[in-house]
Amino acid sequence: MSFKNYDKQNFIIDTANAFTKRKISKRDFLSKMGIAGIGMSAFATGVLGGARPFRGNMAHAAENNTPEDVANFLREAGKPFAGTTIRYTSEATPPTVVLDTLKAEFTELTGINVEIEIVPLEQVLAKATQDVQGQLGTYDIYYLDQAWTSTFSRDTIDPVQYYKDKPDLAMPGFDFDDFSKPLVEGICEYDNKWVGLPFDIPIFTLMYRKDLLEKHGIAVPKTYDDFTAAVQMITAAEKENGIFGTGCQAKSGHYSLECDWTQAVWGHGGSIFGADKKFSGNDAEGVEGLQWYQEMLRNSPPNSVASTWDGQWQMGASGQIALCQSWAEFFPGWNADDSKVKGLWEMAHPLQGPHSLRGRDDVGFGEIPNWGHQGGSSIALSKYSKNVDAAWLFLQWACSKDIMTRCTLAGGFAPMRNSSYTDPRIVERKDRVGGGTTRHLDTVRWTIDNVMASEPDLPIWAGVANNEIPTELGKLVTGQDYNGDAKACMDQIAKLVDAKVEEADLI
Amino acid sequence: MMRDHDSKADAKLIRLPRWLTSDHPFPWLFPASAMLIIFGLYPVLYSLWLSMFKRNPATRIETFRPSWNWSKVFADDRVIDAVSITLTYTLIALTIQLVLGLAIALLLDSDRKGFGLLRSLMILPLVVPPAVTGMMFLLMYDGSFGVISHMLYGLGLLSPSTPILAGGTSALWGVIIADVWQWTPFMVLIMLAGLRALPKDPFEAAAIDGATDIQAFFRLTLPMMSKIIALAVLIRGIDLFRIYDYIKVMTDSGPGTATETLTAYAGTIYFKNADFPYASTVALFTLILVVIIANLFIKIFKVRF
Repeated sequence: MSFKNYDKQNFIIDTANAFTKRKISKRDFLSKMGIAGIGMSAFATGVLGGARPFRGNMAHAAENNTPEDVANFLREAGKPFAGTTIRYTSEATPPTVVLDTLKAEFTELTGINVEIEIVPLEQVLAKATQDVQGQLGTYDIYYLDQAWTSTFSRDTIDPVQYYKDKPDLAMPGFDFDDFSKPLVEGICEYDNKWVGLPFDIPIFTLMYRKDLLEKHGIAVPKTYDDFTAAVQMITAAEKENGIFGTGCQAKSGHYSLECDWTQAVWGHGGSIFGADKKFSGNDAEGVEGLQWYQEMLRNSPPNSVASTWDGQWQMGASGQIALCQSWAEFFPGWNADDSKVKGLWEMAHPLQGPHSLRGRDDVGFGEIPNWGHQGGSSIALSKYSKNVDAAWLFLQWACSKDIMTRCTLAGGFAPMRNSSYTDPRIVERKDRVGGGTTRHLDTVRWTIDNVMASEPDLPIWAGVANNEIPTELGKLVTGQDYNGDAKACMDQIAKLVDAKVEEADLI
Repeated sequence: MMRDHDSKADAKLIRLPRWLTSDHPFPWLFPASAMLIIFGLYPVLYSLWLSMFKRNPATRIETFRPSWNWSKVFADDRVIDAVSITLTYTLIALTIQLVLGLAIALLLDSDRKGFGLLRSLMILPLVVPPAVTGMMFLLMYDGSFGVISHMLYGLGLLSPSTPILAGGTSALWGVIIADVWQWTPFMVLIMLAGLRALPKDPFEAAAIDGATDIQAFFRLTLPMMSKIIALAVLIRGIDLFRIYDYIKVMTDSGPGTATETLTAYAGTIYFKNADFPYASTVALFTLILVVIIANLFIKIFKVRF
């Protein structure tokens, strides 16, 4: 999303507010809306829920610190592949958006052209699925959400092994050990193989408006109970002013709703699967988690049930919500110079639940219940690529120390590499309040290292997490079915998911 | 000189390949037949073949089980719901488009100045791609700043606590309105063509006999237009039955499955669950339903082409 589009959204919101307060006439309102309607295709894409909110500043990535030996390596290694074009398709994640701009540097060094197709997440899944089904090699690199790692593990080349197998194409100082261990385990490892390289780590943390909490004398919540009380109090006090206690990404049938639900279940001591590999979201803890989520929806802007992460981000940036346990990568944008609530958002550790967490031995399919849901992704080398070596050079460049640090500087999200946290360019921005701040990264790192949660690894998870679970949850939260009965909804999901697992011979 | 020129021209004609001068229909039918086979017949046959396999999404192994997906279709609650939603969507949208289309066509059926321009302007919505129309309405329905939502709030017909696309019934209506906006002009065009082709004599005779406009409409216009109307209903009905674009863009079948039509469900199975054989089966099931309903319609309303 560009700054221009952000201005347009603010223009629309301001116009709508002015109209509802009778400051402008109906004619003026309609004419202004008409003006705003022109050229809004980019914004419309955002409303579709396709785009992850990018609120970075490309200027922060301008400083090129690629070491000379790496640059020389790329120049030499890239010579045989000059003129080759490699392709990959990705969601509009902050690192992809930055990489799309920086890729010209790679082309200049190697002569290899890079085409990045940026589409909504569900289309990325559809494209990758078709590519692997036909073993087409249309894409040389796959963007893999953590929920798809197991699904695509057999279709990618293990980068650690390839690095050893092709010493002439091994980038000097690439340093696999520099990648955050929990991220490698949670995002890209499956069956003792690196499916790809960690590329992006949106993770749930608590974010709150310090001005609103101070105004109502509320302490920063540490537990789900504190959070619930604070949310209810703020909704009751501020709803008339258009401010709600929290906001959700509860769009029916969308993965974002599944993410919210998963965190609610884990946060209340539940899990998605039990040790017997049966769906366990319908046990007492799971149902308690869902009931809590229903209560949060009652304290959220009504549009929450039609919003994905992009809509939730807009709620925070436009000052509609006071507290939110969601993706940490929202934070830089909510504090950006052109945000309506610049400098008012703070970040804290994820909430602790009323019950203890379920142990890893008590759950199935490698699920990791914890307080901080991660939605990371990796980029992986396609086994069917016709330009494997050229793509491998790009993959190493994209995940190299300098590029990953610059992606963080420009995009404001958490780095994949430990070295980035101590990079002077990152440290220097920790004191900033507005755009380009890195002051939230310590909390993010703590969450990754200590309380990061991961969804289960099973080859059918991409389908189940994008279809059966969010569709049935959508029926519940919009009142289409189940009459508000969380247990009935969970029982139905259990029936559907268990049937899928059984059909896939995974039990 | 003249004769010399003619003989050269004859020689040129004689040199044309035989198949180009043949009276046999094959060379002339071949291009159209080839297109039909490649883009029409082959995909249907391939889908039929695909539908006979059971796919394990975990191992991606497909085993030949001809009845597996077909028995699944009839036991799948979402298919049954989707049939009901598809029929509801088709009937409501078709009725509105037909009534509006005919009414607007009657209004535009005039040779007075400016009506030609009006008729041309009617075509504009048809040139907008359906996905763009969906995005346009998505914005206008937005609960926070959508112009349609705000107008409905103002009229007291909608509350800010229930966004249009977040309620089961309202979401379906929301999608239907976008469809009506885009496709009513198509009905108008067909009806206008029919109206302007009607003979004038019966209407003049009726006017002399003192028939009112309403009598003339019900006793002359409608009976004479019946075949045109039946054809328009058939074409739009088939189109509506396979609705996908608006639903994908505006609601993604939600909330829950409130706007999940058969084609939308097939798309979900294909793109999200990667169960290609089952998605093909649902698509074929849709095709069979369309063929049955269309033929019933042709038989009942005696549509002749």
